[in-house]
Formats: sequence, structure tokens, C-alpha cells
Amino acid sequence: MSSRAESDALHARARAFVLAFERGAPMPEPFDGLAADLARYQARHVHGYARLCAARGVDPEAITRAVEAPAVPTDAFKVSSVFAFDPPDATTTFCTSGTTLGARGTHRMRDVTTYDAAALAFGRALLAHGLALPAAVIVVGPSDAEAPDSSLAHMNATFARAWGEAESEATYFVRGGEIAMPALRERVTALPANTPAIVLATSFALVHLLDAMGGERLPLPAGSRVMLTGGYKGKSREVEAGALRRAVSDELGVAPRNVIGEYGMTELSSQFWEATVARADAPQGVYVEPPWARVVAVHPETLAPVPDGQIGIARIEDLANVDSAFAILSQDRVRRVPGGFELLGRAPGAPPRGCSIALDEMLGGA
Amino acid sequence: MSRSRGERVSDVRRLMAAARAVYARRASLEADLVRSTGLSPQGVELGFMSLERDATDDELASLVEAAGDARHVHVVLSANVFVAPMRALALARAAAPRVTVRPSPRDPVIARALVEAAGDDGISLVEERDVGAIDADAIHVYGRDVTIAEVSARARSGTVVLGHGAGLGIAVISPGADLCASAAALSLDVAAFDQRGCLSPRVAVVVGDAERASSFAAALDAALTDLGPRIPRGTLLDAERGEAVHWCDTLAFAGRLWRGPQHAVGLDPGTGLAIPPTGRHVLVVSSDDRAGVAARIAPIRSAIVIAGSDDPSLAQAVAPAHARAARLGAMQRPPLDGPVDRR
Repeated sequence: MSSRAESDALHARARAFVLAFERGAPMPEPFDGLAADLARYQARHVHGYARLCAARGVDPEAITRAVEAPAVPTDAFKVSSVFAFDPPDATTTFCTSGTTLGARGTHRMRDVTTYDAAALAFGRALLAHGLALPAAVIVVGPSDAEAPDSSLAHMNATFARAWGEAESEATYFVRGGEIAMPALRERVTALPANTPAIVLATSFALVHLLDAMGGERLPLPAGSRVMLTGGYKGKSREVEAGALRRAVSDELGVAPRNVIGEYGMTELSSQFWEATVARADAPQGVYVEPPWARVVAVHPETLAPVPDGQIGIARIEDLANVDSAFAILSQDRVRRVPGGFELLGRAPGAPPRGCSIALDEMLGGA
Repeated sequence: MSRSRGERVSDVRRLMAAARAVYARRASLEADLVRSTGLSPQGVELGFMSLERDATDDELASLVEAAGDARHVHVVLSANVFVAPMRALALARAAAPRVTVRPSPRDPVIARALVEAAGDDGISLVEERDVGAIDADAIHVYGRDVTIAEVSARARSGTVVLGHGAGLGIAVISPGADLCASAAALSLDVAAFDQRGCLSPRVAVVVGDAERASSFAAALDAALTDLGPRIPRGTLLDAERGEAVHWCDTLAFAGRLWRGPQHAVGLDPGTGLAIPPTGRHVLVVSSDDRAGVAARIAPIRSAIVIAGSDDPSLAQAVAPAHARAARLGAMQRPPLDGPVDRR
């Protein structure tokens, strides 16, 4: 089987998970089975992954469980090629927003349909849960045409096209890096009162929006949802997450549980959501995974899973990451709790014991 | 200038005499330093080699020139290598007839020992944490950017704040270098202070092809392996160990990793510049020619405090204008001619 045919077959198996989820059917195969096959495929076709396996003393052919596969550090996406195909075959390239010493993390994809299917299925279940579609989709961010290398812009556009009434100028409200406040105000005030809207935004975009509103209320129709994602990375004044949620809830007239957190990374093909709309008892701050992805809290040094309730570094296993790295080692701290995991932010750098510059200081928070 | 140049030099010489006295009784300080720095006893001994105990007349003249002029300098030592208080005090004393110093709360040993040994009425230790309460016309602060910013914000109006921030060193291996000898010399620069100093090299640029860079990486691994039993690495913090794992796996993916029990050397054959964490971790990259070195290090140019090389002319050529240049093996012992950090 050619590598492309092998990739196509693995994509099909990953999409079968998504399809089964959408239908409420049992998963088509064990998670570990596809994970092991992905690890073997990636070790054969992503040269760095074979080297990482060798350095960790792991024989990819002997992997039978996801947890046995070494995770690729997110920094590898910044300094190396992490894809299993010939570069001209890339159809989509996503880049991280922050630069690390002049380099942006790059995630190339040959087949983006698995990403799209996974995003739509889980977003529909957690963000758009219970909504009649099509709905008004308002993106407080750039269009994918304006930000073609942003995975978030791509996801937002995918949602807008799939769930929106009609993608138009009235969908995207960050233009040329600025919030188009008059247009946004006009759009929101024109929404029918009985038709909930979906607002997609980053934390820093919402801070800018609230600042631009200057205390004015701009209530969305009852039942509307607001997606909240991402950190600040120096792009705006920082607002504590709880305070931002309260402000969004108050000024956009959205029920607090309808302000829904999303956690995603450029290096992944799947996202994680708070389940506050989908499940009445789901707490805020707890993110849930789709059946085709797992977040494992691991010890930062041994990389072994830590017990539930303990803080570890997020090792993310994503079966939809077919042509790059199915297992990612992030620098985000997480804690497994009943129902999902809590996101505790980036691991703090080592406290200074000398005057050698710290990595996070050199990176300027990127 | 309220004091003559000669008086200033005399005051600095008194501090150098104190440094010699402290060095002579270093064994009595070792346990405290092991505790405060995390270095091994042998690492403390190696660190003491960097304590400035001598300087030429020209170097002292340069130091006095660089120090400026003030009535009262207050020195804030928040994060630095353990011998750094000597140069900090020398600069302050060269500048002012009155010096107050607040030692690092975590690592006060050498500052206290120097002040005690100097017996200089012009220098006194203070514990005051609020710089807004200090009546000095200049504050010299050593620490992270955030600390310098905090001190600047808190200082009294009119007080000049001079920040000495964090940084790193780079090594450049010339086309004619003996790789094994260069690796052996560099290993000492890396091991000193377990790489926690702003003079500590964390990147080595080998002029030549990828194969030569690989040969140098292997030689450096061998040198650090050889050094480990003689000068063991001290304890690393949990966060440092976690950063090391992330970096090692990144380099194993991106290129090649030589991982020893107390060090790691990573070779990146591409164009990346994955800066390693402290704790005896070195990134080795290559540059086809001397002219290409500057471009290779451009992303970290502003953080570079020193460039070391087997070829002094190459070190001078690649060092940014603000940075020092040194021979390999001497990167941690710049002459006492001004601040370490010239940015």
C-alpha cells in the first residue's frame, strides 16, 4: 500500500469515530488500535518521529496502546518538519500565533476533511447543542481569507459555513486587525429576538469588544452561545477568566453557562469544550474530549501519567492528527477531574537561580 | 566627580583584597553555597574560580570609567550567580562613596562575606525590600526584566535605575579548531554554575558542514561526560527537569541528541534554534562559513552577553556590539573592567 493510500485509510478510520459519535453509535474500533497504527505509520513517514521513538527506546512496531507511543513536543513543530507526505501535497498550513525565536510552529495537512469533520461534530454537540440550525454565526475574529494560516480562523469559518445562515460580511467582525464595532452593533441589534446566535471569539477579542462597548449593553437573543478560547499573549490587557465570563454574560446578555470555553492548539486536529450547555451538571472550567482524542496529565520529567486530581503536563492523543503527530506533548498544565480535565495554563518557567536568561523571558511570552 | 579616580581605584582594590580573603576561606562557605545555589561542592569550587580577585590598572581604569558618578548607589541583587556580588559591589563602589546592598534573599552568602571582609565604612548591607524607601541617587539592580521593571516603577522620582538583566552566551567553533580541545574548553564554561549564568554558553555554532557539527557535538558530549564525575551537576529544580525533558525530546525529533547522565547535547541540522534550558544542555548548529554565523544567531542577538571561540578574532567578529568576546574556557572569567552585561 502506498503511503498516500495508507494515509487515506487512516483518515477514513478516524472519520469513522466522528461519524459514530454523530450517530450516537458505538465507536468502530478500540482507540488503542488506531493509535498504534498511527504511531507506526508516523514512525515510517515522519522521520523525526522514528528518531524520537529510538531515543525513547520504543519500537513503533511493538506499540499496542496509545500511551506507549512517545509524544512529540510542541516545540518540534517550530524547529522541524512534522508531516508524513511530500511538501507539495500539503493543502493547508496552520501556524501558531506566537513566534519562538523567529520561528512559528507550523502544522501542515494533506487532507483537512478529517479536521473539519471532527471540529463540526464535537462543536455541534458542545457549543451548538440544542440549537436549531442554521443560526446567526458572529465571528469576533478575522475571516479565514484574512488569516489563512490560523487554525482558529479556519475552525470559525467552518462553523460559520456549516451552521450559519449565509456567510457574508455580516459574519466576521475583525477586519484589518480592528473590531468593526458599528457593523457588529448593527448586526446584533438586527437579530430576531427568538433566534439564538453563536458568537465565536478569543479571550483577547472579547476584552477588546467589551472595551469598545464602553459599558454599553449589546444583548444577544435568548439562548445565544459565546465561545471563549485562547489566552492573551500580550495582545490585550489581561482579564481574569471568571471576570471576563461575568462581563460577557452581563453585557451580551448571555446566560453564564452559555459562555463556553474551548481549548485547541494549532498542532492538533481536535478541540476540547466545556460541557456547560450539553450537560446540566457540568461545571465551568472542566473540558471534555471527543471519543477520538484524549488528554492525559503526565509528570513533566518522567512523562508517566499522574493520578487523577494531580497536576501534570498535557499529553494529547488525537486520532484525527493522521499525517503529523497523533501524540503531542504540550507545555500546558492540566488536571484530570470527574468528567474531564481542567486547564491550568502554561507551565511556569523554572524560578531564577542565576542570571541565565529564562526561556519564557527570551520568548517574550510567545 | 566628587572623588578622584585614584580614590575610586583604591576602593575597588580594597574589595579585591576582600575577595581574596573570601576565596581563602571558601571552604567555610561551601555548605551554605551548596544549599543556596543547588550546585555540587565541586561546582561551588569551580564557581569560585570566577570570583574576581585581581585586575590590571587598565582594567580598573575602565571599570571606574564605566561606573559613572553618584552620591549613593543602592545595589539590589535578586538573581545572579553566587560570585556576582563582587563585580556589582566594585561597580557601585567605583561610582559612589556610599553603597548600600540588599543581597539576594535566596543567596546572600558572598555579598555578606565580601562586605564583612572589606571592612569598608562606605559599604553597608540592608534588608530593606522596598526600593521606594531607599534614599539613593542610583540603583543598580541585577535580575530578570520583570524585576528591573518593578524596581524602576518603585524607585523614588529622580533616582537613576541601572538594570543588569539576564542573558546567555554563545560559542563559535572556527574552521581551524581542534574539535576535542575546543569541546573540552567549552565544557568548563558550560559546567560553571550549572549554566545558570548570563555568561553561560547554551548554543555552539560550528563553522562548517553538518558532519563537522555532529563531530563537535559528539566531542562535547564526551567532554561533558568526562567532566561529570569530577564536577558533578548539582540539583535541578522540578521545573528545570521538565524543561530539559521537553527540549531533549524536541532535539531527538529535530536532529540528534547525545544524552548523558548529567548533561545533554542536541544537534539541529536544520535552521531551527531551540534554545536549551539551563543545567548543562547545549544546542549545536552549523554555519557554512564565518559570515553566516551572525545570521544563525540573529534571533537571540539581543540576549547574547558573551561570544566565546577558540579563535579570538572570530569571537570579536560575531559578538554583537554590546557583548563581550572571550576564548573558550574563559567565558566565565571576564576581566574586571566594567559590567558583565554591557547591553
